[in-house]
Parts: sequence; C-alpha cells; structure tokens
Amino acid sequence: MSEYSVVGQKLPRVDAVEKVTGAAQYGADVHPPGMLYGKIVRSKHPHANILSIDTSEAEKLPGVRAIITQDDVPSGRRVFATHKVLYLGEPLAAIAATDPDIAEEAAELIKIEYEILPSVQDVTESIKSSAPRLHGDETKDGPNRRSINAKIKELSSDQENNSAEIRKLEVELEKYTDEVYYNISAETHTEAGDVEKGFEECDVVVEDTYVIPRVHQTYMEPHVSVASADSSGKITVWASTQGPFAIRSGIAGTLGIPLTQINVIGTTMGGGFGGRFGVIITHVPAVLLSQKSGRPVRVQMTREEEFLDGRPAPGCVIKLKTGATKEGHILARQALAFWDSGSVSGASIGSTIRVRGVYKIPNIKVDAYGVHTNKSGTAAYRAPGAPQAIFAGESQLDEIAERIGMDPVEFRLMNMREEGDSVPAGGTEPKVGYKETLEAVANAAGWWEREADENQGWGVAVGDWTNGCGPGGVYVSVHEDGSVRIFHGSMDITGTDTAITQIIAEILTVPYQSVTIRRGDTDSAPYSTGSGGSVVTFTMGNTAKLAAEDAHRRILELAAERLNTDQDNLELKDGAVHVVTADPPKSISLGELAAYSLSTTGGPIVGKGSFARQPSTPALAAQIAKVEVDPDTGRTRVLKLVASQDVGFAINPMAVEGQIEGGVVQGYAWAMMEEMQYNENGNVNPGFVDYRVPTSADLPTVESVIVEVPAPNGPYGAKGVGEPPITPTLATMANAVKDAIGIRVSELPIKPEKVVEALKNNGHGA
Amino acid sequence: MKNFEYFEPNTLAEASRLFAEEHAQLLAGGTDLIIGMKAYTETPQSVISLQNIPGLTGITKDSDESITIGAMTKVREVELSEDILKHHTALAEGASEIGSIQIRNLATIGGNIAHASPAADTVAGLLAADAQVHISGADGERTVPINELFTGPGQTVLTPGEIITQFRLPSPASGSHYIKHKIREVMDLAFIGVASAVNVDNGTITDARIGLAAVAPTPIRAIAAEELLKGNEPTDELLTQAGEAAAAASSPISDLRCSAEHRKEMVNVLTRRTLQYALERARN
Ligand SMILES: Cc1cc2nc3c(=O)[nH]c(=O)nc-3n(C[C@H](O)[C@H](O)[C@H](O)COP(=O)(O)OP(=O)(O)OC[C@H]3O[C@@H](n4cnc5c(N)ncnc54)[C@H](O)[C@@H]3O)c2cc1C
Repeated sequence: MSEYSVVGQKLPRVDAVEKVTGAAQYGADVHPPGMLYGKIVRSKHPHANILSIDTSEAEKLPGVRAIITQDDVPSGRRVFATHKVLYLGEPLAAIAATDPDIAEEAAELIKIEYEILPSVQDVTESIKSSAPRLHGDETKDGPNRRSINAKIKELSSDQENNSAEIRKLEVELEKYTDEVYYNISAETHTEAGDVEKGFEECDVVVEDTYVIPRVHQTYMEPHVSVASADSSGKITVWASTQGPFAIRSGIAGTLGIPLTQINVIGTTMGGGFGGRFGVIITHVPAVLLSQKSGRPVRVQMTREEEFLDGRPAPGCVIKLKTGATKEGHILARQALAFWDSGSVSGASIGSTIRVRGVYKIPNIKVDAYGVHTNKSGTAAYRAPGAPQAIFAGESQLDEIAERIGMDPVEFRLMNMREEGDSVPAGGTEPKVGYKETLEAVANAAGWWEREADENQGWGVAVGDWTNGCGPGGVYVSVHEDGSVRIFHGSMDITGTDTAITQIIAEILTVPYQSVTIRRGDTDSAPYSTGSGGSVVTFTMGNTAKLAAEDAHRRILELAAERLNTDQDNLELKDGAVHVVTADPPKSISLGELAAYSLSTTGGPIVGKGSFARQPSTPALAAQIAKVEVDPDTGRTRVLKLVASQDVGFAINPMAVEGQIEGGVVQGYAWAMMEEMQYNENGNVNPGFVDYRVPTSADLPTVESVIVEVPAPNGPYGAKGVGEPPITPTLATMANAVKDAIGIRVSELPIKPEKVVEALKNNGHGA
Repeated sequence: MKNFEYFEPNTLAEASRLFAEEHAQLLAGGTDLIIGMKAYTETPQSVISLQNIPGLTGITKDSDESITIGAMTKVREVELSEDILKHHTALAEGASEIGSIQIRNLATIGGNIAHASPAADTVAGLLAADAQVHISGADGERTVPINELFTGPGQTVLTPGEIITQFRLPSPASGSHYIKHKIREVMDLAFIGVASAVNVDNGTITDARIGLAAVAPTPIRAIAAEELLKGNEPTDELLTQAGEAAAAASSPISDLRCSAEHRKEMVNVLTRRTLQYALERARN
C-alpha cells in the first residue's frame, strides 16, 4: 500500500470533460464584438532584396481596416522585413479586414518588388566561402584553426624567440582553409581531458557523420492570438501560449508598452512542445493591427504558415568520433556539430555536449556552430537539442559495441556514471536510476532472450534530460462546504493542472473531486514561469505543496481555537480535523472550519505558495524497439516498442504513461518519417500531405515501464517527465534497423528509399 | 474560401448545362474540391452538386458477370462490396487505401477518377479491371476505356459539361491485387501504386492486366509486361521479367517524395509481388 491516497493514483484529468465535450475555449474560439481578421503578407522568395512595398491598392479595397509594415513599429524592433528577406514566408506586412476573404484579396493587392538572391538551405554548404551570405562576411575558425591560432597567440608574447615556430604554425594553418566558416550565427566549445591522448589509448575508434533533419512540433492548434487595444491604451491579448507572462513581457519589450498595460489571457493550448513561446509570430502583429484599426483583431496561422514561419526544431550535422578499449571502456569522444539556426541565431547548439550521455567519458571535446540558412528561426522542441545529439551518440555506441563484440545493453551498463562520480558541470553525480532504468526496459522487452527472424532486428538506446525550474505562485482557499479552490497563472500542459490538484487534495486530505482549479490572466494571477522545459510539475507542484501546507497550518490554528485544544493534539485526516487524544472521538470538518473562519480575527483559510529555484535531478529514458524491414521496398514495421523512464515519483501514473507514449511516438516519427524539406525556393512540404506525422496505425502499443528513484527536491520526489522520452527514440529506431539489415543509416529519416539504397550499395539486389 | 453560387440540379441534363459554363465545378464528396477551395487553389464561381441526381450510386452485377459502379458511389462502399472484393479485389484494396474511413465515407469513386491525380488509389485497380467509363454530356452519352481517359496530371478527355456517370467492369478476374508504396500506414498518398489482375485456366495465364499509378504523367497499363505473361505458365522467372518490363514501361519523375529511380525499382518489385498475390488468389 502506498503511503499516499491521491498522489500516485491514476486519476482522470481535471480537464477531461471540457476537452471531450468541446467546451474548452481555444484561441480561435475567441471572438470579441467587432473583431477583424488579420492576415500576414509573406515573402514569396527565400532570399531577396526588397525594392519596394506598395500597399496603396490594397488600402482602397472595401473592408480593409488597417495595413501595417515595419514603418508602423514605433520601437523599431524588427517585426517585418524591410530591405531584405531571409526566408520564404518571412512577414513583410499585415492586414486587418472585416472578412478573411477580403484580407486574402488585399494581400494579393500589395505589390512587392523583389530582387532575387541565391539562397542556401544546407549547413554544410552555408559555411563555405562560395555560399551566399545572410548577414555579412564575418568568418569563424573551425577546430583545427582555432587550436593553431591559440598556439600562435600564446607564442606571440615572445615574437623574437618564437618566430620560427610561429611561421611553422602559420604554414600549418594554410592546410585548413576549409575551416574558415561563413554564415556562423553562434559557436560553443567544450573540452575535458585530452581527446588526442585518449584516442591513442583506444583499441577501437569509430567515426561517422550523422544528419538530422529540421522537424516541426506539429502541435494540433496553429498559432493564434486575438488582441484588443482600447481607447485608454490598455491592451488585452488572448494568446495560445505556453507562457502568458513571457508573452506579456515580450510584447512590452518589443513595442515599448508599459508591462501592466498589457493583460495576457492564456487560452486552452492545443499543444506546444516548446514551440509556443514566440512573441513576434502572431501576438505582436495582432496588437499593432488592433492599435491601428481600433478594433479587436485575430491573427491565426494556417498550417502552411506554421511550416513556413513557425519556429521548428533545428536540424544538424554532427561529425562524431568515439574510442574505446577492447574491454569496453569508452575513453574519448569528439564532436563537431553544425546546427541549422535559420535566418537568426538560437538553435540549441549547447546541447551538442549531450553526446556525452550518461557515461564516464574521461576525454571529450565538442565544437559546435550555429549556421545561418534561408529558413525561419528555430525554437525549442521537447528536450531541445537532445534527440539530435543523443541520436549521434547512441548510434555510435552500438557501432563500438559491435566492433568489440559486446552486448549493447551490457556495454552501456558498464560505462554508465554512478552516484558520487564527478559530473561534467562540476560536483558529483546524485542518485539517478540510470542502470535501474536500462535494466528495467531490457527485462520488460525480453532483451536477454531476444529472437529475430530474417530481416528483423532489435535496438536499444538511452537518453537523459533534466527538468528546468522557475518561479511560481499559487493560492489555495477552503470554502464553507469543504471544497477547495486553487488559483494560479500557469498554463496546463498535458496534465499539470491535474498533478497540482492531486498534490493539494493529498495535503488537505479531501476528495480529489472537491478540488477545482482556476487559471488567472496576467492581470490577476501571481507570476508563473512558462510551461516548458518539463518545469511545471516540479515548480508548480512544489509551489502548490507550499500553498497547501500554508492552508494546513491555518486549518490547525483554527481547529485548535475552535476545539479549545493544543495544535499538537490535532490531525487533519479525511477532510476533518480530529483530536487524536479524544475518547469518544472528536472532530470538526473542513467546511465547518471554513465557515467558522469567516468570523475570526485571523480570517478565511487562504494558503499561499511562492517558489523559485531548487536543483533538479537528471532523468533517464531507456527504450528498446524490435523492427522488421522489407528489404525489397525498404519499409520498416515496428513490432515492439518498450520505454522505461526514471520519473522520480509518478504523481499520476496514467499521465506519466501518456507522456512516455507521446515522446516515443514523436521520436519514432523523427527517426522514420518527419522532415521539413527544402530546395532553392525554400520549404517544399508545408502541409500534412508531404510532412508526415505518424498515425496510430504505424505503431504497436508502446509499453511503458515506470522507474521511481526519487529526486530530492521534487514534489514527492517527482522529476519532470515530458521531455526525456523523446531523447533516445531516434537512436533506438536507427539501432534496430541496423540490427535488422546490417547497415547503418546515419541520415534521418530512415525512409524506404534510403534503406533500399543502403542495401543496394551493400550488394542486395531488388 | 471565395464566394460561389451553389446548385443542386435534379437531372443530368441540367447538371451538364450548368457544368458547361466557365468556372464551374462539380461537387461529389468534396474531399478534393473543398480542400482546394479552402486553399484558394480552386476558385469556382459555381459549384454544382450531383447528390440529387438519381441513378448515379450503387454497385450492380449483371447476368453477364459484368459489374457497374455508379460514379457517385462512396469509396467505402466499393471497398466493402462483396462483388468487388470477390471479382476485382485490387479495386476494393485500392479503395481501402484512400485516406481514412471518414474520408472514404465521403469520397466517391467518380471524384477519385475525375480529379485525375496520377496517384489516385482506385485508378490502378480500374485499369487492371479494364473498366469502361460512361460519360454523359450535352451531346449525349459516350464510353471511354479507362486507359484512354487521362491526358495529363489533372487532365482528362472530358469536355465542358461532361459528367462521369458510371464505371463498367466487363468481366471478373480470377485473382487480382493492389499494393500502394507509401511511408505511413494510412492517410498517405501513393509514392506509386500497382494493381495486377490475372485470369488463369489450367495453370496457364490466359489474360493479365497491370495498372500503374504515379509512375507517369497519367496512370498507365504495362502492356509489354502483360503480353509476356499471356499464354504462359507463371514461373518466378516470368514474374521477374514482367516486373522488369513494367518498370521499363514507366516514366516516373523525381520529386520531394522520392526519386524517379526508386519509383522505377518499386514498379519492378511491386509488379512481381502483386502478380504473386493475384496468382495465389486465382489458385484459391
Ligand atoms: C485527408 C484526405 C486523404 C486523402 N487520401 C487519399 C488517398 O489516400 N488516395 C487517394 O486516391 N485520394 C485521397 N484523397 C483524395 C480524395 O479523397 C479522393 O480523390 C476522392 O475520391 C475524391 O472524390 P470526391 O467525391 O470527394 O470528389 P470531389 O472533391 O467532390 O471532386 C473532385 C473533382 O472531381 C470532379 N468530379 C467529381 N465527380 C465527378 C463526375 N461524376 N464526373 C466528372 N467530374 C467529377 C469535380 O468537379 C472535382 O473537380 C484524400 C483526401 C483527403 C481530404
């Protein structure tokens, strides 16, 4: 028996009824009186100089109420392109009209003169001197040039004595002219130990290049916002977003509007996965259009616009090298990564270090670059950067295991870090269920007794991720009927309101059904961090716990007063306060206490929780897939997919399983079918016909295995569960396909054509 | 969606007259048309529904074993029809590959063919059944064999005002099979589609028809491959030759879905495979 009665239970979600009945209010359901329809006018070319934008004809169209360009942005912050567009679909202007068709027609009437420039879509092309430049001619050095230049700089302090040595190095430098990189948006370099020495001591060294495509978060609800500016200058924005407070400060910063003159109302979110924090995409144009037209304006993206101007996950190219001893000890790993950051900086290049995984690798070196291409910028997507880096790392581990003849699971177990080991960021490794989680998935999947017919194969991989943490506030009130109400400002992201409700019901010992939750807007609710980075259950769970404990204190205080006894004699249980020493039993219900509280000096029962930061603990996801590949058509069928995860403590195991399944499916999709495709004209598959997301027919039931090694600072030991499950799936699939056909496909997605191609190159005829 | 005028005529003649006007479109199930209108790629000024015109739906089998399918018959009905499943399995299988059940309950076979997508899922099966397309227009009725209907992607021999009324499948096949090459299990469009139908007598292939979709500007028959098979006993070698002949008959393009080379290879693989299944069915 669990020591808890509400947390740890598979309870239905608090929002289940409104979702199932269609009562939930999404952004597109908001329709204030007099609302106009916004439409963003977008570039028809991926790279071009803008010679002129003529809106005069469009302005004459009856029903058009406002047209804005960058000239209408008082702060001057870039909302629309002016002289040059850097990607297909980049916003140039926006229209508000009384009808969507009129807005559409007006968009066609805006005359834009382009001078088309050559475009670049591929990071390995973009870094070359032959590539068109997006932002200028500045260059950065590649890894070898960096270290040679560093040596030259060191020697330059004594120019006279070192001149011969310096000349030698300068000649050496000439060998690396291909390491003069153009179009670099950012770089990061990490080094520990000595990789060169490390590789020398290895018996097996494997090198490969991994290519991971740009993918879209494909949340069900496209971006939407409704903005209303009233005559006093007060601005209300109904926003479909993961972070209303971030949107409030984002709009304030972009448009130079005082913070609290803006009220952001978060509408029910149709998925986010990290992609729903953008301020410029729809919110700012909606506000500008409303300010100019004096009417509320809705700006809603189509699915095509989502693909052209959303902020998807970056693709990347990772050159990776790993070495191990023949006994199976990984000694060194080196990565050179190019992340496709699109027209701006911001791809998750820092995640490249995740090639380290959860292994003791004494020597490691990572050089990572963000590279500009003629595409939209990128944003977070479920464990940003980790699936890409871990795909490379975990694919290569299998290659090493194969060469030294070790079982892939044993090889991983042998190299995993343990409690007390020093960790990359400093300090020592906490207790994390790395081995427990991998062993759990191996046992559940039947790894040790695995069998495979011809063309079938098994793959395993692990991925790690640590939830974020941020500030939050929660209020709890107890009503005279004994029911409890929660008030906060954080967006529900797939079940977080449910977890918060469970925590509060647990502490106040009331039935789950008698606790309801209300979300405020940014005008009314206490500040709350955005719902991303797996923070919500960790942060808001802790905050809710503090609020409930605060209410609990007031409840005992009131009961002591009312029952005329010492607080030490009292216990809150089953929704009533009991005098533990009383015989016959004596108690008072929460409702009675709430009613009583109204006439006391101390006042009603209101608990307050306010929380900011506590160190988080890493979580591990381990997965095993069994696949069958049709060697003639290249199609892969998944026969079995098992996923385990160290979740710390599952506050709602059903919701946790949902997160595991969702992450696994998205990882599977990235491995096997999803890919934003580009040619010189920009994105060529901006829709669900040729951007394939899987359906339930593509996968067997994902078997989830929950492992619980508590996190010291999590509520009841819980860790963030949303992000980890996507991290190993790309490699799990690739490793299974490799096992089935004997050939490594290191460029995702593993489409039928690539499999047929790989087999043909290996001598398999059709 | 642009504004348009909407008509629900009760007779074919009236529908033809309205449809002969410029910028007119027929509405059957709407699963191609409405999507196009929402995306502004179709901007008809008048939309003419066929739903009130009698006699355009249903599947009937005549005494001569021929089967007639009304153009307005739902794809779902084609998929589940006992007669089609038994005598033209490839067509039922093709119908079952379209979108999802929800889509198949709306989509019509006439719309699938009239839309003239080279990748339409019922087209290979209709080619392998040697279907005759019945057409009604202002100048009366005519019949066109399905392999002469298409002139290019989205293009047919239909003249303004002409409406497809039914498909006639002259005689049953002993066995047939359709395979759609795709990435996603359901709700994917065909990378290529292959349907093979055979008639077998005493172990000899007496007739063979192979329909190929998405491997040329229009759906095509692989005539050379069919000729190889006719009059012969099916051997592995013969089927391999047929696959190669079908691949040689195809002229696919490279696009974002896959390369021309891959399509050609798959024509080879899937022709062989559909023939194997069709022959297996013919035996049982
Ligand atoms: C989500 C989704 C998935 C899909 N998946 C597939 C798939 O997997 N495979 C596939 O092949 N298709 C697919 N389609 C396309 C579509 O469903 C089919 O092509 C369908 O059969 C079209 O029939 P309809 O009755 O809906 O045609 P409509 O949209 O009503 O009409 C299509 C066109 O045909 C013309 N037309 C219709 N009937 C006649 C007639 N009797 N005579 C002359 N012209 C006529 C119309 O004028 C119009 O131009 C999909 C569509 C959707 C929305």
